Amino acid sequence: MIRVYRALITQSIQVLSAYRVSLFLYALFSFIRPIIFLAAWVAVAESQGGRLGSFSRADLGGYFAIAILVTHLTAAWDFFEFEWEVRRGSLSPKLLRPLHPINYSIVNNGLWKLMTSVAVVPVAVAVAITFDARFAATPAHLALGTVSVVLAAGLTFTFGWVFASAVFWTTRVHAIVTLYQRTAFIFSGQVAPLLLLPAPLLVAALILPFGYMLGVPTEILRGGVDVTTALLMIGGQVVWLAIGIVLYRVVWNAGLRQYSAVGA
Amino acid sequence: MSDAVIEVSGLTKVYRVHERQEGLGATVRSLFRRTFKDIPAVTDASFRIAAGEVVGFLGPNGAGKTTTLKMLSGLLYPTAGEARVVGHVPWKREGDFLRQITLLMGNRTQLVWDIAAADSLRVLQEIYRISEERYRATLGELTDLLDLGPLLHKPVRNLSLGERMKVEFAAGLVHSPRVAFLDEPTLGLDVSMQARIRRFVAEHNRRAGTTILLTSHYMDDVVALCRRVIVIHHGRLLYDGELGELAQRMAPYKVITVALRESAPSAFLDELGTVVSRDVASVRLQVPREHAPERTARIVRDLGAALADISVEDPPIEEVIDRVFAGERMPEAATA
Repeated sequence: MIRVYRALITQSIQVLSAYRVSLFLYALFSFIRPIIFLAAWVAVAESQGGRLGSFSRADLGGYFAIAILVTHLTAAWDFFEFEWEVRRGSLSPKLLRPLHPINYSIVNNGLWKLMTSVAVVPVAVAVAITFDARFAATPAHLALGTVSVVLAAGLTFTFGWVFASAVFWTTRVHAIVTLYQRTAFIFSGQVAPLLLLPAPLLVAALILPFGYMLGVPTEILRGGVDVTTALLMIGGQVVWLAIGIVLYRVVWNAGLRQYSAVGA
Repeated sequence: MSDAVIEVSGLTKVYRVHERQEGLGATVRSLFRRTFKDIPAVTDASFRIAAGEVVGFLGPNGAGKTTTLKMLSGLLYPTAGEARVVGHVPWKREGDFLRQITLLMGNRTQLVWDIAAADSLRVLQEIYRISEERYRATLGELTDLLDLGPLLHKPVRNLSLGERMKVEFAAGLVHSPRVAFLDEPTLGLDVSMQARIRRFVAEHNRRAGTTILLTSHYMDDVVALCRRVIVIHHGRLLYDGELGELAQRMAPYKVITVALRESAPSAFLDELGTVVSRDVASVRLQVPREHAPERTARIVRDLGAALADISVEDPPIEEVIDRVFAGERMPEAATA
């Protein structure tokens, strides 16, 4: 498998290099939204005497600077490509090979993040400096935060594939995915830090998988929660990731039975 | 037939499709209440193919050829029936099965569009776990047969259709599959490239012993490559047997072509058989098979010096197949 991954990585670098400009344009998505929300919340905080709930201007700067990195590292867009592959018929050749199609996405996803991080990291640093970001993270937070980012990336990726698999039943999966993404947008911590959400929304964010996709790793990395809470949150991520993997396997296997190889 | 590598029994595939009447009212109603229709694509197909055979799978558009190939390659689950290909149930898509088959479709690409074919082939080498030595040997042979040398290092998007088809063949065969399903492999290619691909398929079959199930609308492909054909129409197998025998069953006549130095009397020609075409220098006649030797001898004897040349042939295979599809006479399905 290592040799297969090495070959896929080489191929993926060649493909990504063929479209260098679009490679970096897509990276804009990682930081444009967090910067907009940061600016908006800072304006609100300053109009209220410099604080917004438990967050100072510097705390907001810290949260969104880290959110830029976490958004980037946990991004998943495979559902759109998967729909395209099914509609164009290019999934079939992959299904005919003794390698699960998800492996191509894992490599493509990971490599894109790695290659475009060089553009995203300086932006996150610049945001942190501009807003005098405050971080309260200890080495334990950083270690747990790293684990949490990996789990969040896995969670986003897995749920992305669960929804992408709907394409086996309906070749227009875009609407379903958009609904999923809008829900994630509200509950994941993109709009505002989880700790600033009204109590019912916070509970919903932590019962549903969405909070674990962005808000949880961001809060852990910034030191916004204590280590015990961080461990509990990581436990939540593990549970949701396990649910996601089981769901994915069920949906994928059922979907293959439905597959009518449209256009292939 | 104990060495069968493809065994199909009662294979059936029914597609369930959404059906809507035309018009705005029907469109609005379909938002609330959908109606579906079952479309049988393949019905109760049974056949066996032995190792090393090249079999032509013939049928008009929508006959069920591609659906059958997709089921046999594991892409589609059948609605009913059984199949085993190289000892595996295809739709279980086990790794050992996938390593032994290939499905090449003339209108689809399996190569990555933006990079050189050589790079895609390297990935396939790892996916199929091909040793470096075997990879080099197989690719060398494919390069030799298909004249791939100058093509392998160009991005696939820059290749012409014919060139792309050649590298598609390389990608489909680099793992030396035991069974190759070829779906319209010469579709859209010019005559010379069609002939080249045909020669390649024949040579590859001879060298590697690959079992091939081929669909094509070009009868030249079938005549050049397949002794045996399976004819499918409206999802049902109509014929399974020798290509030559199909002509005998479906077209119980021979075509006698006579080249003339001077014109022959119409009455004489009409006595011989049905005149299909006629001009000053030649005549084409349809003659019942059993009378062909006697009528040929009569033409030679009676026309004497007026006869410049004569040939006796089976009707063109396109004509034979047209008669099958037109349902002029349904031959009893034979078992190869």
